[in-house]
Amino acid sequence: MYSFEIESPTSVADAVAALGKEEAQALGGGQTLIPSLKARLAAPSVLVSLKNIDEIKGVSINGDTVTIGGGTTHATVAAEVGSAYPALADLAVNIGDPAVRNRGTIGGSLANNDPSACYPAAALASGATIVTNTREIAADDYFEGMFTTALEEGEIVTAVKFPVPEAAAYIKFEQPASRFALVGVFVAKYADGVRVAVTGASEDGVFRWSEAESALSSNFGADALDGLSLSGDGMISDLHGSGDYRAHLIAVLTKRAVKAAA
Amino acid sequence: MGQLGARAGLYDAATVRVNATGSISVMVGAHSHGQGHETAFPQVVAEMLGIDESMIDIVHGDTSKIPFGMGTYGSRSLAVCGSAMVRATEKIINKAKKIAGHLLEASDADIELKDGQFTVAGTDKSVAWGDVTLAAYVPHNYPLEDIEPGLEETAFYDPANFTYPSGAYACELELDPETGRVTIERFAAADDFGNVVNPMIVEGQVHGGLAQGIGQALLESCVYDENGQLLSASYMDYAMPRAEDVPFYQVDHSCATPCTHNPLGVKGCGEAGAIGSPPAVVNAVIDALHSGGYTQVDHIDMPVSPHRVWKAMQG
Repeated sequence: MYSFEIESPTSVADAVAALGKEEAQALGGGQTLIPSLKARLAAPSVLVSLKNIDEIKGVSINGDTVTIGGGTTHATVAAEVGSAYPALADLAVNIGDPAVRNRGTIGGSLANNDPSACYPAAALASGATIVTNTREIAADDYFEGMFTTALEEGEIVTAVKFPVPEAAAYIKFEQPASRFALVGVFVAKYADGVRVAVTGASEDGVFRWSEAESALSSNFGADALDGLSLSGDGMISDLHGSGDYRAHLIAVLTKRAVKAAA
Repeated sequence: MGQLGARAGLYDAATVRVNATGSISVMVGAHSHGQGHETAFPQVVAEMLGIDESMIDIVHGDTSKIPFGMGTYGSRSLAVCGSAMVRATEKIINKAKKIAGHLLEASDADIELKDGQFTVAGTDKSVAWGDVTLAAYVPHNYPLEDIEPGLEETAFYDPANFTYPSGAYACELELDPETGRVTIERFAAADDFGNVVNPMIVEGQVHGGLAQGIGQALLESCVYDENGQLLSASYMDYAMPRAEDVPFYQVDHSCATPCTHNPLGVKGCGEAGAIGSPPAVVNAVIDALHSGGYTQVDHIDMPVSPHRVWKAMQG
């Protein structure tokens, strides 16, 4: 780890100001950034910890919308979202281990946009809105590829607004070593249609499987997916699985998610 | 081992140092790094002398203190180093009986050692272990013309043969035909390790070996890319078995055929779990595929990852 300054603002305004410094980097729960610093893969001169900003923490449930502060840990989501959006709580409780869940935050996960992370699938399948200190971004416009998002330099995810679906489920097939998603599929059924988001698989990061969405929107049953498949082209291929295997898993897991949601 | 044509003695060594107080330090050539030598070795000496195990300390790993040994490998520590320890303890007993015989004014051939007491056979005349050990170092009443003071002996033991533990392992697993994921449901391991000194340690060694073998069979792998870069360089990519990857084991050591050529009748147990489990797991995977109709699959390289199983099922 290289040396760095650390700032711990207590308001979003102060955090934004601190992030204006040269080579400043926001620090959420640190579950990706700290290991990167230890491996000297990143060398920010200033870390701006968002941990002490109370205004971006917590869960509020209002009608058909669950709003989760960007600084809310996975453990809190798991504990507090279950009554309103069980599939989302189920996703959160299966991220990493207790240590990760008690440090890692939803804002950090979405800002990092790891291609194997779980939350991007939930946000995209739910058509969530990512709220920042300056604007609101629809999930469909937010994810721009592996580790890439619509966030500008110094922009902070302050909240995520999830419309609550009629039915939903997230099925994760774990990579054997890291237990990240080798493939994860989030299916969410809304009055105006079904959304299917896939994480872990594509070289372009989280994506929607539109053919499955169309089929499921007219018939929300696993049999609606019979015969649908994806190509392995453009899928991640690594020591844990080829692109073809990941493409195969997407179809399997989507069916399982539909069964779990129904 | 020299007799078997190894052209070298695969001996090990132990020094048993009895202190004036009767406590004992056993310096051993074999190293303990989790196998519990510190527990099992004193049990052997304590039983031979009839004293409490807490009086015996095992010294290992410091080459400035221990005799030269060949080391801990090949499931040999108790069978080879333990045998050296037995031999050294036998020397201790022989000398201690001479001292006891002198104290009791009897022939050492008539001295019996039981429960930490030296007794003249057929009489109620006895001296305690501690009386003898004190006399060994404070030799005012001592057979100085016959033996030196002190009570410390070293023995080297070169085994006449290998030990031959044997066992049978059975693995029951479920295979998800859609994803290729394997889940071990039950695992039973029956081993004949000969005489067992400490059943709990032996069971623990088998448990650890099974976890290691299951890890090898299903998870663990060093992978390099075509440029020689190690891809599995961290636990993000190197899959170690975790508690959820292994079942509750059933182990059985009810068949105990003593080894015929070492004084303890013990056989190696350290590696058995890791040796028997990989083929049991892989055979069970192949069996599951055959029962599922995938009779063309007769081999899958370890680790049998979900991806490899799925690929094998594609033909």
